[in-house]
Amino acid sequence: MQAVPQSKGRGQLHGRCIGGRGAAGEVAVPVSPLSLSPVSSFSAGTEMIRFLLLFSRQGKLRLQKWYITLTEKEKRKITRELMQIILSRSPKTSSFLDWKDLKLVYKRYASLYFCCAIEDQDNELLTLEIVHRLVELLDKYFGNVCELDIIFNFEKAYFILDEFLMGGEIQETSKESVVRAIEDADMLQETMEEYMNKPTF
Amino acid sequence: MPAVSKGDGMRGLAVFISDIRNCKSKEAEIKRINKELANIRSKFKGDKALDGYSKKKYVCKLLFIFLLGHDIDFGHMEAVNLLSSNKYTEKQIGYLFISVLVNSNSELIRLINNAIKNDLASRNPTFMCLALHCIANVGSREMAEAFASEIPRILVAGDTMDSVKQSAALCLLRLYKTSPDLVPMGEWTSRVVHLLNDQHMGVVTAAVSLITCLCRKNPDDFKTCVSLAVSRLSRIVSSASTDLQDYTYYFVPAPWLSVKLLRLLQCYPPPEDAAVKGRLVECLETILNKAQEPPKSKKVQHSNAKNAILFEAISLIIHYDSEPNLLVRACNQLGQFLQHRETNLRYLALESMCTLASSEFSHEAVKTHIETVINALKTERDVSVRQRAADLLYAMCDRTNSKQIVSEMLSYLETADYSIREEIVLKVAILAERYAVDYSWYVDTILNLIRIAGDYVSEEVWYRVIQIVINRDDVQGYAAKTVFEALQAPACHENMVKVGGYILGEFGNLIAGDPRSSPLVQFNLLHSKFHLCSVSTRALLLSTYIKFINLFPETKPTIQDVLRSDSQIRNADVELQQRAVEYLKLSSIASTDVLATVLEEMPPFPERESSILAKLKKKKGPGAVNELEEGKKDQNAEINGGVEATPSTTSTPSPSADLLNLRSAPVTGSAAPSAGNLLVDVFSDTPSATASLAPGAEDNFLSDLEPPSESPLSLLVDAAQPSDAVSEDPALPIAEADELLNKFVCKNNGVLFENQLLQIGVKSEFRQNLGRMYLFYGNKTSVQFQSFTPTVSYTEDLQNHLNIQTKPVDPMVEGGAQVQQVLNIECLTDFDDAPLINIKFRYGGTLQNITLKLPITVNKFFQATEMPSQDFFQRWKQLSLPQQEAQKIFKANHPMDSEVTKAKLLGFGTALLENVDPNPDNYVGAGIIQTKSVHVGCLLRLEPNIQAQMYRLTLRTSKESVSKHLCELLSKQF
Repeated sequence: MQAVPQSKGRGQLHGRCIGGRGAAGEVAVPVSPLSLSPVSSFSAGTEMIRFLLLFSRQGKLRLQKWYITLTEKEKRKITRELMQIILSRSPKTSSFLDWKDLKLVYKRYASLYFCCAIEDQDNELLTLEIVHRLVELLDKYFGNVCELDIIFNFEKAYFILDEFLMGGEIQETSKESVVRAIEDADMLQETMEEYMNKPTF
Repeated sequence: MPAVSKGDGMRGLAVFISDIRNCKSKEAEIKRINKELANIRSKFKGDKALDGYSKKKYVCKLLFIFLLGHDIDFGHMEAVNLLSSNKYTEKQIGYLFISVLVNSNSELIRLINNAIKNDLASRNPTFMCLALHCIANVGSREMAEAFASEIPRILVAGDTMDSVKQSAALCLLRLYKTSPDLVPMGEWTSRVVHLLNDQHMGVVTAAVSLITCLCRKNPDDFKTCVSLAVSRLSRIVSSASTDLQDYTYYFVPAPWLSVKLLRLLQCYPPPEDAAVKGRLVECLETILNKAQEPPKSKKVQHSNAKNAILFEAISLIIHYDSEPNLLVRACNQLGQFLQHRETNLRYLALESMCTLASSEFSHEAVKTHIETVINALKTERDVSVRQRAADLLYAMCDRTNSKQIVSEMLSYLETADYSIREEIVLKVAILAERYAVDYSWYVDTILNLIRIAGDYVSEEVWYRVIQIVINRDDVQGYAAKTVFEALQAPACHENMVKVGGYILGEFGNLIAGDPRSSPLVQFNLLHSKFHLCSVSTRALLLSTYIKFINLFPETKPTIQDVLRSDSQIRNADVELQQRAVEYLKLSSIASTDVLATVLEEMPPFPERESSILAKLKKKKGPGAVNELEEGKKDQNAEINGGVEATPSTTSTPSPSADLLNLRSAPVTGSAAPSAGNLLVDVFSDTPSATASLAPGAEDNFLSDLEPPSESPLSLLVDAAQPSDAVSEDPALPIAEADELLNKFVCKNNGVLFENQLLQIGVKSEFRQNLGRMYLFYGNKTSVQFQSFTPTVSYTEDLQNHLNIQTKPVDPMVEGGAQVQQVLNIECLTDFDDAPLINIKFRYGGTLQNITLKLPITVNKFFQATEMPSQDFFQRWKQLSLPQQEAQKIFKANHPMDSEVTKAKLLGFGTALLENVDPNPDNYVGAGIIQTKSVHVGCLLRLEPNIQAQMYRLTLRTSKESVSKHLCELLSKQF
């Protein structure tokens, strides 16, 4: 991976956060009266992550996982809006904020922002730790994970996420188990194929 | 070593991604993407059938393009094809594509469902999990229709692997949420509750989510889960930080499971069973106590996990709202957090206290923190935190502190963030009205609101102040005076003009006695604002003017002049023009009496809920507003803003006309009906019955694996009839020697040979590359054997591999007696052939000569090696040269009993590795063959196929000969 020429990347991983330059307050106002009816109507009362976005400081979406049904257009609109809100927040603010009838929980790791939308009554702190666990998993898998790993191995990042969360609910909290499952899967890529799938005897 | 196959060879994909990243402009990117799309399209359309790898690569590229934000309108079929691939990675990519780009094409859905069905039936846990993930990711109705009845079966089946159970539970949850009507309730539901007792923490964690959702929908059917949840919680809470191994997160035992259990309990009222309740209260107290203990780690993850449980416990305490002691403790704990240096904790403490404020037990305790909260409102740097502080002030407000809180909120409003101004305005307006002792304070407050944040004062707010002033005689004079003063300001907000215009139009007469506010002064003041106002305000002012003509006849000429002016009577706006014309006509032709009737003072409004409250509820969504006021029906005012709202009632001069057009109407919006406090809702909805389940009924699906028992030592020496001799040739082993040898491949002790004369028993032990074998020669006859000479012999070649030393035995073996011979064996290097033993003796004059194979096979020098599955696969991969593998497919010669098979494999010498093979029916073993010169690592895998009554055996070792030989040896054992 390192061999791939890059315009942004490792060099900037530990760059400084963009401050809330300019009229931060005004930027933060969610102006578009986006009709979010699918989200709202989904407030059935069971807690779970509604969607998870992973984006860079430059506002590039790196990973998206939607646990609710929305059209692509809605997804893009939400993504744009959230990135704008979160990127304009100054560093020392809390990791939570209200957005429509949902709550956003986000945290920045190096150049990447991880943002989860959860329901109002959900446990915010534990959602933060879900994010942290996810980062740990990525880190363990990629070994010192950086944005580029996720760009170039996006499918793996999705697999890791899937192993950890399912339908927005945490599936396995044990790091060992998740990593084992992923690595097994990796091993299996070559081994399983030849050994599960020789013609049936 | 996760790096092993990260790049799994899709070089084309990496190159493409890097090309895209190097694009200097959006146009270049689109160009590159179009090129790629054309390429992929031609590949997919080409005559040449694509191999799986290429298909996977192209599908992955399409996915990447789609995730970049471009539309993808082909490739679905290829992705679906990948689903049925036998190759894991291809299948995986196929599923990923399908999950991200679901397509409602029914033909495709059928194919997808088919592939999923096959994978679910495959009994291969990895494939099953992929399929379950796909169902959960898509979660559509079609999926639910196809699989909702199948998944519960997988979930509760006894032989489902843990990882599959976890996926099945969450998959079912997803389907249940999207299509509850399609998930059949039934026998499985009672079994699913018992997953709370599962030994595997991961299974419990996944299952609790499902159970919680089921409980919310059918609390009565699942109330047995309360006691199970309490006991599970209690076990976690009381466990030490290391007890739960990997389920301990930064020294906090199972935080996710704990929170989920606490959340599950919030579906029910407090347990009725005293013992269960006692245990639960104890848990909650322990959690509160732990908050006071010094942290076990400085890491924020530790405190977050710990506090996540604490906050959830507090939620449960608030939900129960029945334990004053716990409520007050919770409040004190939150009070500490109010001043914590972590912004997140301050935020959450403010939020959580909001709900505490509405409990009668803790309301007073919350109020003690008022200064801290006011301070937070003033000094917090984060707007979200300030917002929470404003919420809390609103929630803790009552008659005793309303003046202070309202004034603090007003002063905060001057600097408040734009994003929350409107909400604060609404809150201030509501509090001012709710706790108004004298209405002059109320009027002042609202006018202050308009002055400070006029832009954020919505129609509802100023409608409301007018309703109240009209309904209350005592405040009308004060209101008129105050608005008059407020309008004196050189720049005043349009909302102020509206309120001022309306109130002066109704009650201007009350202050007209004062020459400083004489009718003309009032009129001139209002009219000075006229030209700066919007059409709707101007329309309102025109109505005020006609009311003035009625109130103050002396203003009639001035006002008629204004109405007659071109800017009014020829106004481009139809509404304004019409009003000017009508009012002018009315004032000129109607008699004073008629005027007085038409323009009478507005009648009082019917009592109704504040429209502001409804607005706040709508803004915050259900459950967000604390329903503090009692007994008021939820009614919403249907408000038509602007023109119609103004007193244009002249054309329909009904005295009862609702000036503000504020008809009471039942609420149709979603906001109001259930807008009450969440707590209240939960209490009223949930039945009071509680769970009382006999504890203990733990389902244990794991059948314990018995260690294989050693074959019993049967060195019987019986007398038997004599028999004739066999052969003279010392060299050749008897015909059945191989067969006899095979019996000992997986065991060390037993009867090696027996005929009418002689029985040979074996007992042996091996350690590392050394072994000792005891041979017991039993004379079955009553006649003495003479010249009894057992000789070990092996080929010259074998001598380099094996070294066997023994002492000669006594040449006389009495009838019925047994002699013993000890062999010391050293394995120098691996070997294929077994050494021979030749036994010669004379029985009744005949020379007996028997040659057998000694039961020494290379597997005897195995040292079993336990290893986790990842190591296994890593090693398996390392041994991937073709010559390192030996494989054999063979028919079963014995019944395919899994316990017997396991015993045999253990006897063979390898460790039997559990949870390695994704297919639970398969056996996997590992061991090292220890010889003097080399150690040979061996991995084996045995796949039974019950239907075909066959096995496939695969061996991988670092030495070709060993692989082959072991495969040969072991394949004869089943």
